[in-house]
Amino acid sequence: MTQPAPKLEWRGVTKRFGGEAVLDRLDLSIEAGRSVVIIGGSGQGKSVTLKLALGLMRPDSGQVLLDGKPLPGFAGGAQRRLFARAGVLFQGAALFDSLTVWENVAFRLINADGVPRARARIRALAALDQVHLPATVADLYPSELSGGMQKRAALARAVVADPEVLFFDEPTTGLDPVTASTINALIVDQVKRLGCTAVSITHDLASARTIADEIAMLHGGRIVWRGRPGDLDKTDNPQVRRFVAGGA
Amino acid sequence: MGVVVLGLTAAFLVYLFTVGDFGGGRRGYELTARFGQVGALAQGADVRVAGVKVGTVSKITLDPATYFAQTRLAIDPEVKLPSDSTAKITSDGLLGGAHVVIEPGGAPDNLKPGGEIQNTQGAIDLLGLIGEVVRPKAAPPETGAE
Amino acid sequence: MGALNGGVTAPIRAIGRLASGSLAEVGAVSLFALRGVAAMVIGPWFPGQILRQFAAIGFFSLPVVSLTAVFTGAALALNIYTGGGRFNAEQIMPQIVALGLTRELGPVLAALMLAGRVSATIAAEIGAMRATEQIDAMRTLSTDPFHYLVAPRIVAAMVALPLLTLVADTIGIAGGWLVATLTLDFNPAVYARSTVDFIEAWDVGSGLVKAVVFGFIIALMGCYNGYTASGGARGVGRAATQAMVSAGILIFASDYVLTTLFTDR
Repeated sequence: MTQPAPKLEWRGVTKRFGGEAVLDRLDLSIEAGRSVVIIGGSGQGKSVTLKLALGLMRPDSGQVLLDGKPLPGFAGGAQRRLFARAGVLFQGAALFDSLTVWENVAFRLINADGVPRARARIRALAALDQVHLPATVADLYPSELSGGMQKRAALARAVVADPEVLFFDEPTTGLDPVTASTINALIVDQVKRLGCTAVSITHDLASARTIADEIAMLHGGRIVWRGRPGDLDKTDNPQVRRFVAGGA
Repeated sequence: MGVVVLGLTAAFLVYLFTVGDFGGGRRGYELTARFGQVGALAQGADVRVAGVKVGTVSKITLDPATYFAQTRLAIDPEVKLPSDSTAKITSDGLLGGAHVVIEPGGAPDNLKPGGEIQNTQGAIDLLGLIGEVVRPKAAPPETGAE
Repeated sequence: MGALNGGVTAPIRAIGRLASGSLAEVGAVSLFALRGVAAMVIGPWFPGQILRQFAAIGFFSLPVVSLTAVFTGAALALNIYTGGGRFNAEQIMPQIVALGLTRELGPVLAALMLAGRVSATIAAEIGAMRATEQIDAMRTLSTDPFHYLVAPRIVAAMVALPLLTLVADTIGIAGGWLVATLTLDFNPAVYARSTVDFIEAWDVGSGLVKAVVFGFIIALMGCYNGYTASGGARGVGRAATQAMVSAGILIFASDYVLTTLFTDR
């Protein structure tokens, strides 16, 4: 019996910025329903890896495949259908300043899916409830929320349309430990509830240990190690050991 | 503030396009005068006696039967004009400021409201006259209607 | 031989770099403009965004445009009066002032005031969105920023600026009228009448056509510089300045081209 294609796969992906190869023939495949966290030092290309998977950038060589099919170029319709299946939590939450929280959460529903505003608001409130944000927050503007609350609102925005793949870009960076662990718990919650595939990048080891089924380490433009969170402390891999020691 | 601007704009536009229409009819009594040529005279122009403004030109129309220009003048009620007064069209400068000058006559009775000023002198085509002096025509030249 | 090579050719190479850089920029702007126009013509459309931008661009620019217009109209009237006086033709001032305002000063001054205010604001807004990954986020939410952000602003500007120009024309003529009737002894009704009788529909119309083009330029420069901003907060500031400057230059250049087209010789 043939194995189903991995949900998401980077195959021989190279990406250069100004002559330097940030990613060098990167190979990584992620099975459906798994939560994989990519760790690595700053500037190692973690964000780029994510943006390539999202189709926000194109690789210089190699391919990114979703469900075994290569990602389309920047062509409108195909891209939009791709994005319809993904939810993204950006590093700074990236909420739209001129819209209220519920309008942010319901943005995809109202503007891309043609859901009428009244129904979209109901779904937005349900999503806010999922991330334990009170309904009173719905009519505030993002600038009126704390960093942690903005992240939660952004998470609600990412999950409101029941995505197949969730992407997390440094979900806990810049948050105090208490808020960070709240976010981690919510991420685990939502991934389990949706049964979706999750790809996260972070340099926060505590977060990685909490939310990951598997951890992959990015160094020198490639994956140098892959294993379960428990294996982090047992491996001989020098880069991993250095990373773990630094973040202990 | 934007609302104020829009209001002022609308008001001034209305003024621009209706000026002369309301300047005459409200107060003052009306006199008419016919000219063979009104030249640059425009609605709303002054009507003056001895250099003093006593009214405005409220309407200028063409009489389609006689091809004369029919003007209606709105005159200050306190100014009475003898029935043999003369109306002339003249201007302040070469290129503009056309207005009506009324020279009062000596008759004992006055023009009544709605009356017509019989003696008129139309606008003088100054450049045409100069041209005729420089290059005279064979036939005697025509001046404005008398 | 090596020293000669470096010293003599360095300025030539610098010019070459500048030229190819400028050409590249022109190309990038043109491509951006094409994408923007495509987003205007092909749906999906966001009428709510268009209306919002129209209010921001049009309504809130009324004060600055009207102030500019009234002072310009008054000053222009005084100058044309002086010039006319040298020919004993002061009386022609209302007509010339109205002509200058409707054909040139109304559209150009309104556009310049908006180039400063609107273009810079659009660039800063979109630039800040770019810097905080909101543009990327929008794309991942299946919404094309060209349809949601760029096209509404271009449409709104192309509609708002002709309307603002009409206001500028009217208020400018009013400025000339005020100074003429209050200080130059003009008869107010005669001034108004001369203006209305002299101005032809195409005088106003050509000014409005210019305004549509200027509106396009203003929105395009704001969107382009904001969309391509980089470098955090400083980059946003730079984008705003570049938007304003490039919009201004393009307005003057296109004004010359359009005026030439509209002048019958």
